[in-house]
Amino acid sequence: MTLLRKPLLAVAALALSLPALADENLFGYVRGAEVLPKGASEAYQWFTQRSDKGAGTYRALDSKTEFEYGVTDRFQVSAELNMLSINTSGLLIDGYLPGDKKYGLRLQGFEVGFKYNFLSPAKDDFGLSATTSLEYGMLDVHSGQKKTEYEIESQLQAQKYFMEGQLTWVGNVGVRAAYEKRKAIANLPDGFDWPTDPEMEINLKIGTGLSYRFAPNWYIGAEVMRESEYETEVGLERWSTFAGPSLHYGGDKWWATLTYFKQLRGGGEMYAGQTDTNLHLIEKTKNEVRLKVGYNF
Amino acid sequence: MSTRDWSVFLLPVAAIAAPAHAVDYLTVAQAQVLLVPGAKSFVEQPLKLNDEQRERIKAASGVRQRWDEQKVWRAERDGALQAWFIVDEVIGKHEFITYAAAISPDGHVLGVEIMSYRETHGGQIREAEWRKKLVGKTLADPFKLDEDVPNISGATLSCRNVLDGVKRLLVVHKLFLSRA
Repeated sequence: MTLLRKPLLAVAALALSLPALADENLFGYVRGAEVLPKGASEAYQWFTQRSDKGAGTYRALDSKTEFEYGVTDRFQVSAELNMLSINTSGLLIDGYLPGDKKYGLRLQGFEVGFKYNFLSPAKDDFGLSATTSLEYGMLDVHSGQKKTEYEIESQLQAQKYFMEGQLTWVGNVGVRAAYEKRKAIANLPDGFDWPTDPEMEINLKIGTGLSYRFAPNWYIGAEVMRESEYETEVGLERWSTFAGPSLHYGGDKWWATLTYFKQLRGGGEMYAGQTDTNLHLIEKTKNEVRLKVGYNF
Repeated sequence: MSTRDWSVFLLPVAAIAAPAHAVDYLTVAQAQVLLVPGAKSFVEQPLKLNDEQRERIKAASGVRQRWDEQKVWRAERDGALQAWFIVDEVIGKHEFITYAAAISPDGHVLGVEIMSYRETHGGQIREAEWRKKLVGKTLADPFKLDEDVPNISGATLSCRNVLDGVKRLLVVHKLFLSRA
């Protein structure tokens, strides 16, 4: 914990000391269609804790520090720095989790993103935007082992306001393609499979969420995300459906969103001895908690 | 590592308890003077609305009449009606936007003043340049952003709701004040 406490406290202190301004995410996982206005900037920090694979100990913490800028009233760009912390023990998953691993926040990768708004949800009644992001990764976020990863992800975001904006619906559909190459590991357990040949993976994501402003500045919502993973040799390899509640606060200066995301169902490949047979626990976990804090300039 | 240990990164949530900084720019009296400078008195005449009346407003304006009492003043000069002064609230991105509108006895907008605005973007909504686009509007106008009133990027929802709110007040005037 000492590995984590200092950087986390520093980030929290920094977050609380910054001048607060904000665009905002009503949800933790699904994304809205609005963009920053021209010349506006946003910085935000999010943490995602992924925990519980049904055996042993597994907790991972993803940190994303992002800066966004509105180039025009319809087009924004972003740059992100990703970090990873992991603590796993007492669990081996052949081909995926080669052994115990524990470290505090380490640099995981970089990302750049672009978002274009076609229709404004407030002006055109129905909002539509598209995003594309390019990512370079150096650590496998599942095992914590070294890996080189190049990823491109594209997504469409739809958004609709109801009740003059008191109720917001969001829908997402996206595809992610990744080239991945693992680093070799010495002293693997006997017979443990750890392929180091390059592989391609394609994910499809579809999600939706509904958020209601129940008091000034406060929103309560629910969101669901289905993710399917495809690989060349096996077709649909794994899938999972997560859902959970979101609590959002949006002030005139900053915003925060807290989401609990629980895996409801999952399928495909399972690890040896997996007891939760209706979940995907090879790469996913049973639970995720995500906190985002955002500021605009 | 215990679960409790990880709770440290929820620290920023503690700040959520702090209320947003509310900024009120105008009092009712200040807005009255700005919008109807020729009036010598403002007679408070709140308009109480039952469910059926609120439904009629929604049907005619396209937006909900959220309140069962609308704050209305008769702006008078030497006993003669100069204008109707109405204070209203609409939903902004985070909080209600409080504004006042003056409507002439024949049903056109004399002016709009933003009394309270607390949003991140769109401070231009308070500026005279944007608000004067609403002057002269009647129910015959389209009331569409970027059609007869410009949009303010980053505050589209606020613009849309103020625009819809002013249209609703014109409907309130037509249904309940024009013959009062």
